[in-house]
Amino acid sequence: MTLAFDKPDCPPSFLQRLDPRWKLASVLLAVLALALLRTGGAALAGLLGALLLVVLARLPWRWYCLRMGTALTMYLLFLIWLPLVVEADHDTFDLGIVTVSLTGLIRLFVLSANLVGMISLMLVLLATTPLHNVFKAARALYVSRLLVFLMLLTYRYVFLLIDEFARLRIALRVRGFRNRADLHSYRTIGQVAGTLLVRSAERSERVGQAMRCRGFDGEFRALDEFSTTPRDVLVFSVMAGYAIGLVAWDWFAR
Amino acid sequence: MDTQVAIEFQDLSFTYPDGKQALHDLSLQAAAGDTIGLVGPNGAGKTTLFLCLAGILAPQKGTIRVAGLDPRNAADRKRLPAHVGIIFQNSDDQLFSSTIADDVAFGPLNLGLPAEEVRRRVAEALGRVGLTGFDERVPFHLSGGEKRRAAIAGVLAMRPEILLLDEPSMFLDPRGRRELIRLLNELTVTKVIASHDLEMILDSCRRVAVLDQGKLVATGAADEVLRDSALMEAHGLEVPFRLRR
Repeated sequence: MTLAFDKPDCPPSFLQRLDPRWKLASVLLAVLALALLRTGGAALAGLLGALLLVVLARLPWRWYCLRMGTALTMYLLFLIWLPLVVEADHDTFDLGIVTVSLTGLIRLFVLSANLVGMISLMLVLLATTPLHNVFKAARALYVSRLLVFLMLLTYRYVFLLIDEFARLRIALRVRGFRNRADLHSYRTIGQVAGTLLVRSAERSERVGQAMRCRGFDGEFRALDEFSTTPRDVLVFSVMAGYAIGLVAWDWFAR
Repeated sequence: MDTQVAIEFQDLSFTYPDGKQALHDLSLQAAAGDTIGLVGPNGAGKTTLFLCLAGILAPQKGTIRVAGLDPRNAADRKRLPAHVGIIFQNSDDQLFSSTIADDVAFGPLNLGLPAEEVRRRVAEALGRVGLTGFDERVPFHLSGGEKRRAAIAGVLAMRPEILLLDEPSMFLDPRGRRELIRLLNELTVTKVIASHDLEMILDSCRRVAVLDQGKLVATGAADEVLRDSALMEAHGLEVPFRLRR
């Protein structure tokens, strides 16, 4: 199956050669900074910084846009209403029969810019670092072992669950099931969800057994050794400085 | 350790927490280098027996020695993965890393081996199962047969002296199955193969043990036991095609 989050074939870039620990720390810091921004100028600067990294990482645009589009579709459904929510202290203007809140429009811009910036940073990280190295780097940065394993195994097994769901769906359809807004459909969907849950629990039990059979003691290990170079420290310093600068600018601009 | 006996258990019994007794007073001995076929219908207790031998499940009764270690002893249990490898029935349960190389390296890394040695073992194990060049492939992109071979590589990389294989030919096409039999026959380690594929058992094992409802009902030379049509019929099995007269 091809639902996997494949690492794209990016042309070589300096971002690929960075130590994953420093890269992860830089990206997390930048994501945190973007999440804190509230003003339009700082949000725009943050977005431009993130897009610059996308260009420097030489991500395939099709790959990038497809994932960005999918993520934004989900969020924009919630954000799109912001300009239409008018409160007493908002500046407004009329657009035909609709009154648009300027404050809401700016909020929509800030939130969208932050969102695009954060997703771009995560895509840069995932496209330039093998996933197992991201997990190993997370452990090196003292991210909870449980959380790291939860992410690793979720990534690995979510596709199997999707496969199982697809098989169950086919099994339902070949027996004449059509999803309608009636009690029978709701009951059937509930049963499918229950079946998936039980199968997941059984699978997690078996995966745990297989891991213990191969000497797993709860510690995450990977083959690649990390080593810090002056370039890693430099990139981290630049990104940390940019992130702190953005937050400071945003703070004083409020 | 007694070098002649690889696996030995006496009066082994195991009951699941829900009260279902899966193993009843099983006793068996396997010499080092032996290949034993474990046959029986679904639910006979084959997988439970493997999990007990690997120290994953703790039997309530009986004694076990596997590679000279007692799986019920905590200190011995930690050493067991270096000596005993299990190939699980469903390879998807065993392949959880994001690349094949990582998955094969998982066991050797857990053994605390240096990176160079782990790399050497990964390359060797992948070569042995015919998956050279698959290092960076992701497990969910592989076919059933390739997944099975990757799972075997993950265990071979740990260089166990005992291999427990649970339905190894399941999900394999005829060519994959033939390659698996060839691979198994090349391995000189002690092997216990649980399978419904009695033709494969005949090709790979000199001895078989018939397990039904948690009880060991027959042991002996593979062709003699599997030829016994009354025994096979009574325990939900069939005489392999080539032994039928």
